[in-house]
Amino acid sequence: MNTALNISSSPHARDKWTTAFIMRIVLLALLPTTIVGVAVNGLHALLIVLIGVAAAVGTEFAFDKACHKPDTWKDGSAAVTGLLLALSLSPSSPLFAPALGSVFAILVVKCCFGGLGKNFINPALAGRCFLLISFGRAMSSFQVDGVSSATPIALLMTGKAVNITQMFLGTANGVIGGSILCLLAGGLVLWALDVIHGEICFSVLGGFTLYMALFGGQGFDPKFLLAHLCGGGVMMGAFFMATDYVTSPVSKLAQACYGVLIGVLGGLFRLHGGTADSFSYAIIIGNLFAPILDTYVIPKPFAYRRAALRARSGDKRPFLQRVPRPVVVLTAITLIAGLALSGVYAMTKDIIEDQQRLANTASYKVVVPEADHFENVAAIDRAIEDLDGGVYGAGFGRAYIRETVAGVDAEGHTVGYAIRVTSSDGFDGDITLVVGVTVEGVLNGISFTELNETPGMGMRCAEPAFKDQFNNRSAASFRLNKSGASDNSDDGIDAVSGASISSSAVVNAVNAGLDFFHSVIKEGT
Amino acid sequence: MVKSTFRGGVHPADHKDLSREAPLREFLPKGEMVFPLSQHIGKPARPIVKKGDAVLAGQRIAEADGFVSAHIICSCSGTVKAVEPRRTLTGGMMDCIVVDNDGQFTPAADYTKRQDVSKLDGDEIVRRVQEAAIVGLGGAGFPTHVKLRPKDPAGIRYLIANGAECEPYLTGNDQLMRTQAEAIAEGMELILCLFPNAEGVVGIEKNKPEAIAAMQKACAGKARLRVLPLKTKYPQGGERSLIQVIAGVDFPITGLPADVGCIVDNVGTIYAVQRAVVYGEPLFCHALTLSGEAAKNPGNYIVRDGTSFQELLDAAGGLKDGVTLKKALAGGPMMGIAMASLEVPIQKQNNGLTLLAEDENERAELEMTACLHCGRCTTVCPMGLLPQLMADAVSVGDLARYEGKLYGLECIQCGSCTYICPAKRPLMQTFKQTKAEIMARKRAAGGKK
Repeated sequence: MNTALNISSSPHARDKWTTAFIMRIVLLALLPTTIVGVAVNGLHALLIVLIGVAAAVGTEFAFDKACHKPDTWKDGSAAVTGLLLALSLSPSSPLFAPALGSVFAILVVKCCFGGLGKNFINPALAGRCFLLISFGRAMSSFQVDGVSSATPIALLMTGKAVNITQMFLGTANGVIGGSILCLLAGGLVLWALDVIHGEICFSVLGGFTLYMALFGGQGFDPKFLLAHLCGGGVMMGAFFMATDYVTSPVSKLAQACYGVLIGVLGGLFRLHGGTADSFSYAIIIGNLFAPILDTYVIPKPFAYRRAALRARSGDKRPFLQRVPRPVVVLTAITLIAGLALSGVYAMTKDIIEDQQRLANTASYKVVVPEADHFENVAAIDRAIEDLDGGVYGAGFGRAYIRETVAGVDAEGHTVGYAIRVTSSDGFDGDITLVVGVTVEGVLNGISFTELNETPGMGMRCAEPAFKDQFNNRSAASFRLNKSGASDNSDDGIDAVSGASISSSAVVNAVNAGLDFFHSVIKEGT
Repeated sequence: MVKSTFRGGVHPADHKDLSREAPLREFLPKGEMVFPLSQHIGKPARPIVKKGDAVLAGQRIAEADGFVSAHIICSCSGTVKAVEPRRTLTGGMMDCIVVDNDGQFTPAADYTKRQDVSKLDGDEIVRRVQEAAIVGLGGAGFPTHVKLRPKDPAGIRYLIANGAECEPYLTGNDQLMRTQAEAIAEGMELILCLFPNAEGVVGIEKNKPEAIAAMQKACAGKARLRVLPLKTKYPQGGERSLIQVIAGVDFPITGLPADVGCIVDNVGTIYAVQRAVVYGEPLFCHALTLSGEAAKNPGNYIVRDGTSFQELLDAAGGLKDGVTLKKALAGGPMMGIAMASLEVPIQKQNNGLTLLAEDENERAELEMTACLHCGRCTTVCPMGLLPQLMADAVSVGDLARYEGKLYGLECIQCGSCTYICPAKRPLMQTFKQTKAEIMARKRAAGGKK
């Protein structure tokens, strides 16, 4: 031999997949989502995506150069972070957002902790949450054609219906990477290629679905569950963020625990939290649990597992008896509870609706006492439908027009209108009230159908001292007087002392109702 | 419980097309023959010839020293030239018997005459196997006569003939099964005489349909034999992988197949048993695949032990023109040993000479990145270990966690984790070193007491 031969330990063959190759596959899997997002949201969205990716890659490049490290920006992991961050932003975000977010994600969360493979939480999510916390208002403004409107998730959080088809296609109002269809396709392809672990993504989705089914109050209602699965970044989170290698645990068992934890936390935050971005926080908390799961949840090698020990000792019990009892019991309880809940929901749905209708009618009667019965007016219903569940008008806070009926007397003449309005600006949840107006536009009075304010404070809005101020007033809108002294002007309403938030919400709701009467009902009839 | 495969495993490119259709050809060397005294697991053999002695092919030239040991058989006729340390394929020096080959290959006895084996008892079979110096030809070289004497012969349920040949490039056993199916089946029946309650199963990966067909034909009508086609996946031919599939059980690394009622032998070993018991022929030649992108004429050979790898390569046409040999492996790329020089003797358990023009390890070192924690190593580990956490534990020096919680000593060093790692990290190599270190510490601690 005249040439020296290489010596090394076996194995001498290596798989073709490299780190860069995997990152490229992930980028490709996100491509359809990106394309749809840009096509739907236009040039500004494209700029956000480009800036996000460029800032991420640029930051890593600069860090490598500044710290004399090997060029790691080429491996594509920074590009994935930048793209994920950009896709999770609103298409109307200011252009500094993706840049700042990417720099934070790469510089602080990734590079400062040691670069590839060392970050303790998902950098893209960290960047997103950093932006949300620091620039909340700019980040959560969702505008379509210059008009601000509610995102599907905001509607869901307030219990309203959403258009699932639009969410699937990505044309609903939301983040750039909002096309559930594309996300699902990309995620499933990654799973099929073994790039991401099914143990994680499916346990996230499973845990979330189960939690929503059990505690969402609507049982296994497929429409309800699907709407929640499609909204609020659940799909992107489950397939592209929770599955991030670095911040998820290693063993299949730990991955399943981690996924369920994220799913359940996501559901918990969704139902009881105050933000539409609950899923991001759920994943970050899951990330923080990953190291502890890796420390303690370690399955034994095959040869030491119970099944192997039993096979060696010749135990031939049937499968069901070998499943640990708690698993059987928990599964059974879960199933029974879920089925019972959905059964009760289905059975009582109509009754509840009937009761609700009766209660509403009773309230209508209080504020339009001359009416014999109430009728829906097609033109008004259409006008309400046109609002699409969105915030009504400007200057009334978060007020929503729910329903308007015409009060008709025994002879068939319309004597007034009952307008049901909800304000979400209450101190403790929604305030729903009915505004009764005569045909001439005189306010008969108001009646609450939903009021959950603080007892002794906000709840005092329902007391005559406050409520009756609205009786027989002819002003077109009212002003809240918080001075404490009595205001006897035409449009003055004295606030309940110590409950100005609740009082203000009530006045806003009344004003919205009156505005609706003057601008829609009176105009239209 | 019938499963078609074990858990985990990888699918390396098999490169078997280079040599799979090349029939087994006997190669008779001309140069000097070198016989290392340790070609098996256990104690090295003791030489019983000295310089100047005339020897014949099939003659015993060194005796087993102890129970777990094996004789050394001369594979040519000639004169003993020396008993001296020579370099062997692992790179170290070892005592070897060097024989001047006269090129006649005069046999010590007539190995072509069939003997009547119908009345043989188990002890006689094992004695003949021991006399024939048979060791496991799958690679480990465990003395076969020891394996055939488990504590509880009646408890053996399966005799597994390992024809998986999952190692890329290697096709010697494929050809052996195609051409010697009857002999292998007979060898299995002979071994089954020792185990009254056992069934003989030939496990063959599905990428060898001709071998499967040949073995099925040979086993047809034999009540205690059957052929089980296996999924093509590395390390399907690992002892514990086969047992998982065939017997549905697994056992810790400290255990033996016999503990779970299995005896696993390579088909080459079983063929050698048949030759030894029926023809009285000791083991001095076996099938070997010469392959790889750098080889001019890949092929399958019956080689004599002690032949130099270099001589075999030269006779087979040498290297492909214009190709530089980067790496030469004794065995295949997954488990094979990289040799610094080809001027070393072929040993009993060598089943391949793989000549690579590309060294993937060299390229991998350039492509190495930080661990992504992607978990691919965990997915492929056939033992159910967590290579990624094991590597983490080693990197922080936590050997207690490595050994205890992570069962790091259970690693069978199949190399699947290193193969699959997209970050190109040398995982298995780390585990090999760590295991050696832990064992060394244990020995040191034991010595102090």
